[in-house]
Amino acid sequence: MGTLDFLLNGFAVAFQWQNILFAFVGVVIGTAVGVLPGIGPMSGVALLIPITSTLTSGMPVEAAAASSIILLAGVYYGAMYGGSTTSILLNTPGESSSVVTTLDGYQMARQGRAGAALSIAAIGSFFAGIVSLIGLVLLAEPLSRVALKFGPAEYFSLMLLGLCAVSGLAGKSMTKALIMTFSGLLLATIGIDGVSGIARFTYDLPILYSGLEFLTIAVGLFALGEVFKTILERDKESGAIAKIDRIIPTKQDLKDSAVPIVRGSLLGFFIGVLPGAGATLASFFSYIAEKKFSKHPEKFGKGAIEGVAGPESANNAASGGALIPLLTLGIPGSGTTAILMGALIMYNVQPGPLLFNDHPEVAWGLIASMFIGNLMLLVLNMPLVKVFAKIIQTPKKYLLPIIVAISFFGVYAVQYTTFDLYLLLACGFLGYLLAKNDYPLAPLVLALVLGPMIENNMRRALTISNGDFSIFLTRPLSLTFIIIALAWLLIPLLMKFKGRTIVVNEED
Amino acid sequence: MSKTFDRFASITFLLVGLLFVIESRSISQSAYGSTVGPSIFPTALGIILILLSIRLLFETTKYKDQEGTKEPVQYVKFLIIFVSAAIYAAVLEPVGYVISTFIFLLIAFQTMERGKWISTIIIAGAFSFGIYYFFSEFLGGSLPGFPEF
Repeated sequence: MGTLDFLLNGFAVAFQWQNILFAFVGVVIGTAVGVLPGIGPMSGVALLIPITSTLTSGMPVEAAAASSIILLAGVYYGAMYGGSTTSILLNTPGESSSVVTTLDGYQMARQGRAGAALSIAAIGSFFAGIVSLIGLVLLAEPLSRVALKFGPAEYFSLMLLGLCAVSGLAGKSMTKALIMTFSGLLLATIGIDGVSGIARFTYDLPILYSGLEFLTIAVGLFALGEVFKTILERDKESGAIAKIDRIIPTKQDLKDSAVPIVRGSLLGFFIGVLPGAGATLASFFSYIAEKKFSKHPEKFGKGAIEGVAGPESANNAASGGALIPLLTLGIPGSGTTAILMGALIMYNVQPGPLLFNDHPEVAWGLIASMFIGNLMLLVLNMPLVKVFAKIIQTPKKYLLPIIVAISFFGVYAVQYTTFDLYLLLACGFLGYLLAKNDYPLAPLVLALVLGPMIENNMRRALTISNGDFSIFLTRPLSLTFIIIALAWLLIPLLMKFKGRTIVVNEED
Repeated sequence: MSKTFDRFASITFLLVGLLFVIESRSISQSAYGSTVGPSIFPTALGIILILLSIRLLFETTKYKDQEGTKEPVQYVKFLIIFVSAAIYAAVLEPVGYVISTFIFLLIAFQTMERGKWISTIIIAGAFSFGIYYFFSEFLGGSLPGFPEF
């Protein structure tokens, strides 16, 4: 079967009524998550994992995995759409990749062009979503075929590269990012060792035999951490919301933003494919690029539509691009994709080169559903933008306790243990403290997900080489990955040493 | 960024690393079919974590403390909600989902903002009953619904 046949089969999966519903629910919740300041795509996806797993509990495993990942991915790219709404209307980005949209988007809203800014953001996001999907379709097969030739040594080095890439760009201090990475790897060793069957760090507590649950830690660190932060530091109430008048953009607006949308989409896609460089960097670079290409760079920051069209397209394209290393290599490049990977592993679906062979329903169903989801977002966002803007006014008084209750319900409904609820609360508190002091959380979750695989591949490689560590350096591909991994860590350090400023990726 | 926190954190991470290294020694060394036993990976990670913590501790001596801008922190609200969430976790099984969730939400809503009793009761009630019936009755999941007498 060729790629086209697989894609058509994927559409057959995506067009099942329950999957259309799942995609719809995903993008609507995602948009809401993007609109609500304080809940980012990471905590949104983490919170919904338990809910999707209960919703799909009666279905066969393969279909349940497909439906869940369709919903969760919908939340992910839906949040990228929704994030622009608050940036434009309130000057408060709903999530970190919409920060640059505030620069020109809010200015446009002040000039009475909020509707045009919002619709251009939606159109740009739609176009970018389609571009990144075409890229995904074209690259998925060849990349996973290459990855099939990898041995354990190559896999180990590739995962190391993934971890280094995320740690190298995360947060202000690389030491802190690396500490978080290694803490995550250490936490992943708790439980029964998959190779030898020996219990490690369990202290005869049966609850620890299966290890610390990824879901509990992710929901605690991201969702509860953000809730605690908002409770503790709630001081400023959001200001007045700009009025939305005319939603359809003018011909001039469309003409001005067409090229930035195309440029932003392509740039965002390629940045998204790189591990570690997420949607935030993509939107940031797109803004810089548009300013460079513009004949009137002085207009930027004063309401230039190009400054909305480019970055908004770029952040959506990046979120599509980030799915490529996840699906084809099994290496998540960002916090949110790490959470998506954790969700897939919960369903016994291992992302990676074998995914397209072993679970075509999941892989192609997801890809096809993203076409549908992006179309839904465009149709929903143009007329309903005023409704979504209303979500901003949800009182925090009700929202925050309900998020706590939802995370309790979710974790308990999946784990059925009180232990996980205590762990959840502890992770929430630690998440707040660590994030507040610039300890990035995404590397920890990524390491927790990748930890067992890194260890197993390392041990398998060392078994092949009879304990000789040089196997990682003598195999050319493995050596290449290790060199790139080191470069990812060392180049920012060298640049800092020379006094250059480096762009830091916010978590997304 | 707080220097005190970074110092405290670096020492904590150092102790965590140390704990893992020491505890790894009690894991059986060899495993059948593998030259690399289950203790090597955690030992190596622990050592790296110790080195990184020392580096962080060293870094805290270099930068200036930036505690000038203090935001108002609402400790009392947070403590009430956190403690009631911990109690919520403890009583969820014996008391059941509906009652414990209802009471937790009531306390949390009123802690966030006093007053508007009717709407807090309606929202807390709708959430706890709604989730329970949707999950248990409609989806067939199992939750401890009500206390068993």
